[in-house]
Amino acid sequence: MRTFTNLILVLGWSLSSLQAFEATIGSEILAKAIVASGEARATLLEEFGNESSYGDAPLVESWRRGEIWIAKLPDGSSVAIAYNGKPGTGMVTAAKLGDGKMVTFDLAQASASNPDRASRKLLTKVGNVIALKHPSDRNRADAARQLGLQADEEGLRVLQELLPKQTSPAAMKGFQEGIALAQLKLSKGDEKLAAVAKLGDLASLTARDQLKTLLQSESAMKPPNLALLAAIKKSLAAIESRQAIVESGATLFRGLSLGSVLLVVAIGLAITFGLMGVINMAHGEFITIGGYTCYLVQTWFINRYGSSGAAFDNYFLVSLPLCFLTAALMGWFIEWAIVRHLYSRPLESLLATWGLSMILQQAFRLKFGAANVQVASPSWLAGNYEWLGITLGWNRLFVIVFALAILFGTLLVMAKTPVGLQLRAVMQNRRMAASLGIRTARMNGFTFAFGSGLAGLGGAFLSQLGNVGPSMGQSYIVDSFMIVTVGGVGNIIGASLSALGIGSVDQMLQPLLGPVMGKITTLLAVILLLQWRPGGIFPSRSRSLEG
Amino acid sequence: MKFAKLTKLTAMLVALAAPGLSRAEDTVKVGILHSLSGTMAISETSLRDILIFTFDEINAKGGVLGKKIEPVVADGASDWPLFAEKAEQLLTKDKVAVTFGCWTSVSRKSVLPVFEKNKGLLFYPVQYEGEEMSPNIFYTAEAVNQQATPAVDYLLEEGFKKFYLIGTDYVYPQTTNLVLLEYLLSKGIPIENIGGGFRKDDKGEIISAGKYTPFGHTDFQQIVAEIKEFAAGGNACVINTINGDANVPFFKEIASAGIKSDSCPIVSFSLSEDEFRALPTKDLIGHLGCWTYFMSLDTPANKKFASDFQTWLGSTSYPGIKKENRVTCSPMVLSYNGVYLWKAAVEKAGTFEVEKVMAALESGISFDGPGGKVTSQKNHHLTKNVYIGETLPTGQFQVIKSFDGVVGEPFLKGTFKKK
Repeated sequence: MRTFTNLILVLGWSLSSLQAFEATIGSEILAKAIVASGEARATLLEEFGNESSYGDAPLVESWRRGEIWIAKLPDGSSVAIAYNGKPGTGMVTAAKLGDGKMVTFDLAQASASNPDRASRKLLTKVGNVIALKHPSDRNRADAARQLGLQADEEGLRVLQELLPKQTSPAAMKGFQEGIALAQLKLSKGDEKLAAVAKLGDLASLTARDQLKTLLQSESAMKPPNLALLAAIKKSLAAIESRQAIVESGATLFRGLSLGSVLLVVAIGLAITFGLMGVINMAHGEFITIGGYTCYLVQTWFINRYGSSGAAFDNYFLVSLPLCFLTAALMGWFIEWAIVRHLYSRPLESLLATWGLSMILQQAFRLKFGAANVQVASPSWLAGNYEWLGITLGWNRLFVIVFALAILFGTLLVMAKTPVGLQLRAVMQNRRMAASLGIRTARMNGFTFAFGSGLAGLGGAFLSQLGNVGPSMGQSYIVDSFMIVTVGGVGNIIGASLSALGIGSVDQMLQPLLGPVMGKITTLLAVILLLQWRPGGIFPSRSRSLEG
Repeated sequence: MKFAKLTKLTAMLVALAAPGLSRAEDTVKVGILHSLSGTMAISETSLRDILIFTFDEINAKGGVLGKKIEPVVADGASDWPLFAEKAEQLLTKDKVAVTFGCWTSVSRKSVLPVFEKNKGLLFYPVQYEGEEMSPNIFYTAEAVNQQATPAVDYLLEEGFKKFYLIGTDYVYPQTTNLVLLEYLLSKGIPIENIGGGFRKDDKGEIISAGKYTPFGHTDFQQIVAEIKEFAAGGNACVINTINGDANVPFFKEIASAGIKSDSCPIVSFSLSEDEFRALPTKDLIGHLGCWTYFMSLDTPANKKFASDFQTWLGSTSYPGIKKENRVTCSPMVLSYNGVYLWKAAVEKAGTFEVEKVMAALESGISFDGPGGKVTSQKNHHLTKNVYIGETLPTGQFQVIKSFDGVVGEPFLKGTFKKK
């Protein structure tokens, strides 16, 4: 029932601002604490901690995000309200936190409230106790670990009380870790020994620092407790060996994710450069177009729905097709205006597209300013998922799926559609295709637009991981050409394998050599590879005479 | 409208091109040497703007020694050798009385010999690594002990025991982190509690502490995973000297890894209100900053300064100044303070001669700036207040601790003794 109410609460929060006001009434004590300050606030927050339930957690979260405002009523009193909007003027009617009464106030007299560091510290402990009843196993487990680290008698009692109620293995592990961590500090003798052994069995990373400190202090003791020392060493070894396994798994995942990012960036170029042979130096700017389209869609959504909530979260899904379309249209136009005149002169096309790249960058600068713009991630891309101790960011998982989808989509278009067939025919032998009745000029335009559109999609995704600014494309252009060349020009599968390979090598070298040397070594490896196989991993063999 | 702008621009150009004709007697030339194009333009353009604002403010009140300030703006274009060339031009061709400029340490290092050779005077306004004191440069900037060590003091006070050092690979982060390493060791933090890794020379001495990334790094997965592992046992914090827009992917990765400011705060030394305009502030809430000025400081002097600046932005006709969404930040205020200190020093010396002005500055001059009182010191640095703030969702800082009257000390390496 509780979970259901929470769900309603969260949903109501996001649907529209008015409904959100009605749904978030929250705890009366918290409402008082928000309005109060200093000592009074601290006392109220402690009281809140004793009485609150998990249902208050979203409210605490929105307080932290600055979405709780303090408004002055005409009668001079101050009240806390949930308000997710911009400062301004005019009268606004909203529900008061605490009792849900509707109040009308002047927006000019209201301001956002923020919990200061001291309040947040109080809220962490409160939050941990509250979170022990969180519906998600993982949040419960995390809270239990944090309480264990704090190591006080009361926390230990609560943990022991709640342990039998845990059903899922993940939550149970968290609670056991929490209890053992607390016992490590609080208990003596055999119980301590048992706690040390337990932490080793659980391979608890959280306990590693504590165990190391304990090892130091125990070694200095005279006479040393040999049994305890041996147990600590054994547990530490268990934790380290587990961590080594987790780390190698995580490195693989990170390589896969970096590879996917590189693939998303380069796949457009694999078509315009790989298949069509146009050295398109403005490829990066199509990525930028995607990034800015995403930003514009986001701005539109913020103006309409406010800057958080389910409606806002949809902006990213809406922006994906738009990013593709804008970049594709731009690509179509540029092919028509510039590139088609230069098919027989590749060096001139290099110069022309390079110039175009600079013109576009300057245009972005004039339109959006020289500084980068903010693109916020939708909440469903923000968190992470933990699997066997490996943290998998949702945005990272999404980019992997996204890269696969783009790859298969592209391959499907190429292999299974009439357009793809014509496209391959034109790329293999333009004159023969033309004499068979294929309109090659239109095919060229289509192919270039398709490649550019894919670059736009890449830009949409990069906006979730990094900067959106006038020169964002520049940081990826070299990588893109490298991937296409290493994979073998004209081979999409080759490009994806090379993206994956370069990503993995980079991530594996980083922990050993650091980011700077890691990158240099990767580039050296690429040079050596191209010396050995100048055509890339999968050189394309063509039977056409003109090639 | 366009035409009006054009005429104004032409008038300005004419004024700049033919300065010595009619007003030579009642103006004094002052150089501005910042990057107005290239990668550093994002940050440095704001300093040009605040300097022009300050000159207008001073000119409206009668100028310096009865002479109006006439700005000579040189664009360093984020190109370090060009900075030296432009400095040479300012000093020998334009014969400026003083220059305000430079942001990156590498640009300062490249103009330093030019200023020493030509006996010029440069005011440098951006936090830096110290270990330098040129007779021809006055550093209004935060020294390491006015930013990095107070921040560490605060974190130690809050009970943090593990420190992870990360930065961009160039002189400022490398030097600052070496000083911080010594400082942390002197405070009794064991070396295994300092994260990011060490590089040693042949004799086994540490020559580099912390993790370094290239400028414009985009993939922080590995580093953030390392931080997460480092912080798993609690009581850990991160000291961030990453410069520029590489902070965006860094903080996005931090947020997606679930590292929260309550359990593992990140204190950044290169992020001020001006940079926040382009950062995802949601991911930064609660993380810390340490500067000698915050826009949110609730003092009458700061309120007046901020509102004067906004009014000026609305009315100025200077070409190329962005008018919307403007904020003030520490480097801007230190530029502003610099101009007023120079004015006071000139008035005390009664002349624009560099040597006498420098002597006046060395004798100790105070100015009540927007960030509180600053006083010039004999070692060419400033005594000033230091504030520690945490980031709010609005992209502003909330002050959580302040240190009053901290004396600027450039030479810190080797001064902290290990306990």
